[in-house]
Order: sequence, then structure tokens, then C-alpha cells
Amino acid sequence: MGGIYWLASYPKSGNTWFRTFLRNLKADGETPVDINELSTGSIASARGWLDEVLGFDTAELTPDEVERLRPVVYRWSLREPEIGYHKIHDAYTLTPAGEPLVSREATLGALYIVRNPLDVAPSAANHWHCSIDQAIEQMGQPDMALCRSRKSLPPQVRQRLLSWSGHVESWADASGLNLHVIRYEDMLDRAQETFSGAARFLGLPDDPARVAKAIRFSAFGELARQESEKGFRERPRHTERFFRQGRAGGWRDRLTQEQVQRLVKDHSAVMYRYGYLDAAGEPV
Amino acid sequence: MSEHSRELRYAYGLRIDSELDLPELQQPPPAGNDEPDVRIRLGAVPSEGPAGASQLGPYLWAGPRQFWLHIPEVARFLVNDGCEIRVDPEPGIDDDSLRVFLLGSAFGALLFQRGLLVLHGNAIQVGDRAMICVGHSGAGKSTLAAAFLRRGYNILADDVVPVDAQCRALPGFPRIKLWQDTASRMQIDTAGLRRIRPGMEKFNFPVVTQFADCALPVRWIYILSGENQPDIQLDPVAGMDRFLPLRDNTYRVSFLKGMGLNGKHLRLIGQVAARIRLVRVTRPDHGFELDALVDSILADIAANP
Repeated sequence: MGGIYWLASYPKSGNTWFRTFLRNLKADGETPVDINELSTGSIASARGWLDEVLGFDTAELTPDEVERLRPVVYRWSLREPEIGYHKIHDAYTLTPAGEPLVSREATLGALYIVRNPLDVAPSAANHWHCSIDQAIEQMGQPDMALCRSRKSLPPQVRQRLLSWSGHVESWADASGLNLHVIRYEDMLDRAQETFSGAARFLGLPDDPARVAKAIRFSAFGELARQESEKGFRERPRHTERFFRQGRAGGWRDRLTQEQVQRLVKDHSAVMYRYGYLDAAGEPV
Repeated sequence: MSEHSRELRYAYGLRIDSELDLPELQQPPPAGNDEPDVRIRLGAVPSEGPAGASQLGPYLWAGPRQFWLHIPEVARFLVNDGCEIRVDPEPGIDDDSLRVFLLGSAFGALLFQRGLLVLHGNAIQVGDRAMICVGHSGAGKSTLAAAFLRRGYNILADDVVPVDAQCRALPGFPRIKLWQDTASRMQIDTAGLRRIRPGMEKFNFPVVTQFADCALPVRWIYILSGENQPDIQLDPVAGMDRFLPLRDNTYRVSFLKGMGLNGKHLRLIGQVAARIRLVRVTRPDHGFELDALVDSILADIAANP
């Protein structure tokens, strides 16, 4: 059996929130799962996963060499007894050898979470410990990548993000990919419908009571409560909280007029496509 | 060069006769015989793993006495019975690249075959005993080793640390692998250092005068991990709870499955677990004070001699 469903998104778009839902849906327990035990599967870029399957250290390889090997590692998961659900922040790209990074054969499907870039920007600035202007700048860079240092050893391998628009389009328009796109805003406003659809897509139970309970156990208030009580190990050091606002439209208080205009200018086509701009080109 | 005119090399207490030049390794101690324990040969390696071995990964096969590994665009390696490594280089590959994987995964497998517990980390001499730091790739093990060197401590082994049935860490060879960022932090000039592979910002840093060349009993093992918290934290692991973390920090746990060594290996881990102090060290992800980390570990060592 085996194979992989990718939980794909640009950073700060609700991926961790969705994984919490997934864990709660699978566990179907009486109490919410611990946010520090969200082991739904390694992130695609985890060095430990790659090294263990390869049998040699990716630390001794160049980023391009690693990239060529990644689809091979994912294909190996076809031999696993169970389906894997793995988070991925890489854009859907081809390796230097010309094959999809995520491996066509290994990929059962991709659930893509898209979030209004006006809300991604302040959240990413907080996460990356930079100014909002710098975050906006990075979201506009077509060659943006995470963990790109060649002078040290980050625990994850290099991930090409592309620009925010490039990221969304890379997944949304990937040819031959079994894809289901959900919007962060719909996870909030139309939770039952959105999460049920995602569960069905992933081949998981979608009975309404079970989905409703998993939504409740992964609601922002619960995640924030757990974080304030015992911390969250995926929180970057420079940020006070990982689960900060958990709402849509916060950009109205956080962004200047110029920042809004810059993001709209950089990403208008994709924003329009996902309903973040109205017919007049104004933010919704 | 014939076997007799070639100088033997020495690592992990083994006399090594290698057709591939291994300048990182020392020569064997003068006394003793000339018969090599390990032969490293350049030659053809089949394009698939050997019969009787199981495939453990896309490029990895292991059986009870044989281990087969392919590093695409570098080489194929076949490790036999703890006494021979056959290297089949891919066309045009440089010797440095061959050495990195030979001295890493291939040697790790060979040491497993020789019945040793092989840990993924580095070993430092403290007094007349050894302290070992383990942790996943990117946890900061080599940076920490460099920091101990700067404090004047000797190193036994970097990356691959074999421990024998008497719970002694065996010395490897006098070098550590150093990333450019670590070197800059330590104010080590890398201009004269050899890159571990062409095009990589990672260097061979010879440590000839700070190399502990004899086996030392292991007293302390520290498991290093980076987490997003403000302070360095040390948590001792007691009793039976030491077993799993030690197993998880074995050099490539997956090798063991095919080698049929699981039972023997687990006994060895049990023996080591009973004799050491094991401590989890959590350090902040970024910007932590390296000296403070060394101080914390040294304080723990002093308090638990």
C-alpha cells in the first residue's frame, strides 16, 4: 500500500492547524491531542527521513544533489504498509533531472491550503523574525528558498518556495496531480464543510460528529490554550507565540496602505483567483 | 602499488590496507605485525545488492555478512564480513568524495559487522574517560566538538563512534569535519583547509595534536537537540529509559535490520546503558552561547564524575 498525501502550503497558511485537525480526526479521542505530539509524519524536507532511507548523510551532498534524490526517497514509501500524510512547504517543482520533486508515483494526492497573502505577510514576518516589508519582499521573490545556507547544516534540506503566487500556482496548476485546494478562511467560516471535504479527499472518516469533534479539538482557542500552558515545540525562538491570532482579515490592522498595494500588485492574479480581490480589484 | 610497498593506515584499532589514499588516517603503531585487518579495494561492485541480503532502501542492501550501498554519481560500496570494503567509483568522481562516504556509511557498516555498537556523534576525552555527544543531523554536534577542541580537549572520533563490549570508545582518526559557519565562529581560517568535497563549504580540520589515540571507557553520553526555548537545559535519563534514546542514536538504525544484528546490538546497547550517565541537552535553536553549552556539560561532568 503506502504512498503519500501531501499537506502542502506556503508557510503560515494553516498547515499546522490542519495537521492538528488530522491528528484529532484519526485519534477520535475523548480529549484533544497534545499539540507537541503532532507526529502525522515527517515534513518532506526533514534530513532525518532522507538520511535514513538513503543510508548516507545528505549533510555530505550539495543542495542540488539532495534535490535529485528526494523523489527517490518518497517513492520508497510506496513499500510502507500505511499511507503517509506529510507536511510540505516546497513549491511543486521539478528536480534538476526534470522529475517532480514529490515523485509522481509516490504521490496519492495533495491537499493544498491557500491563505490570503495579506494575512500571510504579517504572520510570516513574525515567524521569520523580520519586518513586514521584508516579508512582503520575500513573498515577491521568484527564487525564495528556505534553509538555503551552504555554510552550515540546517536540520532541514533546502526548500524552494518561489514567490507566494508562484507557490500557489505551482501546486494548483501541476499537471496530472490529484489535488484538493482549501482556503484558510473557509477552515474558519465554513469549517464543517471544508474539513469534511478535506477528510474525504484524504480517504479518512468524514462522519459529521467525528469531524465536528476534531474541529472543536483543533480550534484556535484550544491550540492557544495548550501553547500558553506548556509551550509549542514548533514555535521559532524569536516569536512569542506560534498560535497568534487564528483569524482572517487581521491585515486591516497590521498593514499600511502601501503594504497592501504592494501585495496586491505582486499577487493580483492569484488573489483574484482565490477570491481575495473583488471584481474591482479591491481586497475583500 | 603492490600491497607490500603501500603503507598501512590505522583507525578504530584496525590496520587498514587501502588502494584509495587515506591521508586523514594515521599510521599503525610501530609494534605488531604487518597483516592488515581491513582491506579497501578499488574494483567492480555489482549493480544490485548481494544474494541473501535484504533491500533496506533504494540504494541500500544489507545481509548478515554483506552490506551494499550506492551513492548515485559517486560510487558503489560493498562491505564484506567486517574485513573488506570494495569501492567502485563512478566515472569522473574525485577521491575526496569517495573518502567522505567510505569513512562514513561504509566504515559505519564495517564496524557494525565487527560487532561494535556504532553511535552517530563524536567522542571527547575527559580525564581518562570518554564523553560522547550524539544527536540528529544538524543538531550541532560538530560545532560542539570544535568548541571542546578550542578549550584544549582531545577528540577520539568524529561522526562515527564505535563502542566495544567493554564499553570503551575506540579512537578514529585525527580530523573533524567543520562547516564554514562554525569555522568563522571559532575564528578558524579555512583558506588552507581541504574541502571535504569539491564545491562544499565544509572542511577537513586536522587535529593531530589534540587526538586521543587510545580506547577510553565511556562515562557520559549527551544527546543534543535544538529547540525553541530560551535556556540550555540538561535532563538526565534514568534506568531503562536510557535504552531507546541510545538505540535511536545508533549510526543508521536501518542498517541493523538487514544485518541480523538486532539481538546482539540490543544486548550491547543494554550493557552500555547500564554503565553510563545519559543526559538530554536541549539548547535554543539560534544564537545560543556555545561557551555556555560547553560550560553546562562540563559542570554536569564535574558533578557526576
